[in-house]
Amino acid sequence: MRSGAGGASGLGLVAAVFVVAIAAFPPAFAQTQPAGLPRASDGKPDLSGVWEALTTANDDIQDHAARLGVPAGQGIVEGNEIPYKPGAMAKKRENAAKRETDDPEAKCFLLGVPRTMYAPFPFQIVYSPAYMAIFSEYAHTTRSVFMNSEHPPGPIEWFMGDSRGRWEGDTLVVDVKHFTDQTWFDRAGNYHSADLHVVERYSLVTADHIRYEATIEDPSVYIRPWKISLMLYRRKEPNVRVLEYECYAYAQEEAVRRGELGPK
Amino acid sequence: MVIQVFRVSVASTIATALAWLLVSTSLAGQEGGGGPAGFRAAPVAGCPQISRLFWPCAKAKAAAFNPPRNPDGTPNMNGAWNPITANGSQNIEDFAGDAFLGRQISIIVDPPDGKVPYLPQYANKRQDNWDHYIDPIGSCYYTGVPRQIYGPRGQAFIQAPGVFAIVSEFAHQWRTIPIDNSPHIGDSLRLYMGDSRGRWEGNTLVVDTTNLTDRTWLSISGHFHSEALHVTERFTLIDPDVILYETTLVDPKVYRQPWTMAMPLARFEKGHEVWEEPCFESDHDLPFLLMEHKLWLGLNPPR
Repeated sequence: MRSGAGGASGLGLVAAVFVVAIAAFPPAFAQTQPAGLPRASDGKPDLSGVWEALTTANDDIQDHAARLGVPAGQGIVEGNEIPYKPGAMAKKRENAAKRETDDPEAKCFLLGVPRTMYAPFPFQIVYSPAYMAIFSEYAHTTRSVFMNSEHPPGPIEWFMGDSRGRWEGDTLVVDVKHFTDQTWFDRAGNYHSADLHVVERYSLVTADHIRYEATIEDPSVYIRPWKISLMLYRRKEPNVRVLEYECYAYAQEEAVRRGELGPK
Repeated sequence: MVIQVFRVSVASTIATALAWLLVSTSLAGQEGGGGPAGFRAAPVAGCPQISRLFWPCAKAKAAAFNPPRNPDGTPNMNGAWNPITANGSQNIEDFAGDAFLGRQISIIVDPPDGKVPYLPQYANKRQDNWDHYIDPIGSCYYTGVPRQIYGPRGQAFIQAPGVFAIVSEFAHQWRTIPIDNSPHIGDSLRLYMGDSRGRWEGNTLVVDTTNLTDRTWLSISGHFHSEALHVTERFTLIDPDVILYETTLVDPKVYRQPWTMAMPLARFEKGHEVWEEPCFESDHDLPFLLMEHKLWLGLNPPR
């Protein structure tokens, strides 16, 4: 339906918007900024707000069929294959068999990185220029991302690792190391060692979507690095709040009620 | 308490020692024990550290101080802050110290006697709590509000447009405070950290917290509240590196009157980072503690 004339005026409009955009922003920004993204005061895409993933990756980060209580899901692993070293798959299968007791989530432990980002709980990103915090509803998890700084020297073993962030153009890149070997990727028992190294990339693609990608490296467990990719969605409900899921408090209360914990 | 703990087990004693370590870092900010004259002798921002003396002095300083500001004009409180006189919330009233809890000078400034104004029926409840229950933060639960500010170790403050966030080193707990005129969440929702909303009154950040549970304490020594607790906090810079922190607690089910604590928060050294403390994940002693002490499931626990 579009006539040649219409197309020409459309181009004219695009050109006019472009001129306005260049006039409105300093030249350094004009070259890299797609139009329309909300920006923080430093000119970088504004990642602040309440976000949540909508995958079933917490059940299994790979493609999986439905079973009782577990919806089917398309995996978040690029190519769907996790390149375990020969022999390392046995441990994954053992984890899966014991998931009801051994999964860190079943123990109410911190979920680690990247699992916290796609676990079925909302999280809030809050930051000042030097310090970004990610607050998850699950067991009052805090991830501290320190900007433009170096990892402290190890050895350190933290559940959430040590996160150091920097901007590469419009993408936030977070380098995470100093992990424990006590977190998993999912309820299916996919695991790593304390040598885990995660490089995350947060790209705001619209005002309400972040493309989240992470490269997973652990030479003790995998033959090569591998990648996950998923979308984070902004929670848009008015007055939405990240509330509390105090996992172990509830578990202990239940144990007291059953007479399994507390003075006889 | 002494007899009880020694009767339990070596593991419990170790746990108690660990609890001591947990709270001991803030002791480093004090000028030793000694007599009353030597206790917390070093002034902070030119004011005495003892709360009842600090409070009027700091209020006068605040009135005359033009604080450093963020680009949006709000006073700049970004950074990490240490409640140097609170002893990790071992006690909040005057306490001589014993085998378990350190010496404390009251951080309560109103009423002037420095004591929590409990209703008569609760006169002995704090002692009962100490004798029979584990401090909820000993189970790695949220500290609640206002204890987050004066509890173990320090806090990092993050100021972002429309929100003020507080990250604790203790047990990786956090609180976000919207500053956007938004209403509190529904009254039936009850949270360990409640629902905080902030506003600026001049150079003071005023935070209003409701929706609290009765599952948290105010000190290791067992001070408590009901879920009717309503907390107001006031954060005011009195010099670039010291905040006057004031908090008023209203809970007509438990207290005779509103009461107020006040204390300095001192900036940690530049570059101080709040690091992960995986509390519950490494808490192997709780089952031993629970051999003789009960979990605190609230002033009015569910049946």
